[in-house]
Amino acid sequence: MDAFEIYLPVAGIEFNVLLLILIGFCVGVLGGFFGVGGGWIVTPALNIFGFHMSYAIGTDLANIFGQSIGATKKHHKMGNIDWKLGFISIIASIVGLEIGSQVIIVLEKMGTAGSIVRWCYLFMMFGLSSFMLYDYFVVHKRELKQLSLDESQTETQNVRSRRSTIAERLHNINLPPMISFPASDIKSVSLWIVLFVFLLTGFLSGFLGVGGGFIRMPALVYLIGVPTVIAVGTDLMSVLFAGAYGCFTYAIKGRVEFIAAFFMLIGASIGAQIGATAVRYIKGYGIRLMFAIMILCAGCSVVLEQIYKMSGIHVYQTTAGLVLMGTAVFMTLLIITRLIIEAKKEKELKNKLSM
Amino acid sequence: MSIKKIIALLLLCIVIACAFNNSYAGDVGGKEVTSLDHKVDTTNLSGVNLWIADLYNNNKLMYAIVVTLVMAALGTTMAFGTDLILKMFGMDVTKISHRE
Repeated sequence: MDAFEIYLPVAGIEFNVLLLILIGFCVGVLGGFFGVGGGWIVTPALNIFGFHMSYAIGTDLANIFGQSIGATKKHHKMGNIDWKLGFISIIASIVGLEIGSQVIIVLEKMGTAGSIVRWCYLFMMFGLSSFMLYDYFVVHKRELKQLSLDESQTETQNVRSRRSTIAERLHNINLPPMISFPASDIKSVSLWIVLFVFLLTGFLSGFLGVGGGFIRMPALVYLIGVPTVIAVGTDLMSVLFAGAYGCFTYAIKGRVEFIAAFFMLIGASIGAQIGATAVRYIKGYGIRLMFAIMILCAGCSVVLEQIYKMSGIHVYQTTAGLVLMGTAVFMTLLIITRLIIEAKKEKELKNKLSM
Repeated sequence: MSIKKIIALLLLCIVIACAFNNSYAGDVGGKEVTSLDHKVDTTNLSGVNLWIADLYNNNKLMYAIVVTLVMAALGTTMAFGTDLILKMFGMDVTKISHRE
């Protein structure tokens, strides 16, 4: 394997090029499929394998920017992006992010920032995954039973009837100005509600110090009532702009390892195309279920990391990294397998119909 | 939304990054504020590695522009190539109906 070791001049370390491509590929598939940047996988992964933390973040952002271009283009082609909603999300999220980071500065002065952020991060991950699992196994199954009683519903009615109860309630709040999002099949919703939701996701992003993709995607689905695949595409578009900004600003500070980002992007851009294509073959609720499982596993990894910080026992940190990388590899394989199976099924169906 | 508009918005992101970036001010004559302001040792480097290290050491703004442009170009090219291969395998990417 020594033949694949390359020297990274900016970070000043040697790294296995195959490992870089593999990490990039996994995060590309997950990013294209879930509409997230994947920084919470790449940054710790690079860090575990010897990268200084700030180089890991900068290199990851450069990779996110490159991989998001192709994936966003593909989602646009499939009609999965609500541009109007996306731009509102970018503007409101920036404001929220600024507020979140200001709160962190205040907490830092009080000396409680670290522990509060860690607990909030854990609460977010486990809360979000529990809610999504409940939604899938209880609410979705119940709705499926009801729907099977009324087979005459059209596809649009079907999507609308499965919009979350929270979103339906928020849509009913009549607080002018009202705004519509035809691409997401939202007839009317208060602009204030939309702004508030994105301010909140932006705030959490700034407060927790994460890109925000894993918070924004479920917020689009459960609070705004956007169909899952459009939430994925729209979130990815926001990730693209955040990635462009992040790549440039970290590079100018000298915190992007160019060679590493280059090789990671080779894997990531291939993976992102595969992930974005898989969205076409897997139903919205399937995407939500896989997302919930992934967040749950990532939460377990954070718990192990916390135990390491409290106990100082190194094995917990190694296990945390392995859990995270294991989840990423497992999810990648699952998505690719589902893509192949569903594409095969569709091809067979087309062949049958043409005969 | 046209590709031109997207490119214009991405350029806007870069301009905002410059405007809010302290180390950029440092590069044009002010005091460096980054804690990681180190120079890459170029003694044993050659070829592309040497070129990157020189760019990194001498002009961070140019380094940032090169990194951003290469990432955009590589991302687009690889995505285009992968898309073609997926099409060859019959994985269609036309507009889809949304199924929950």
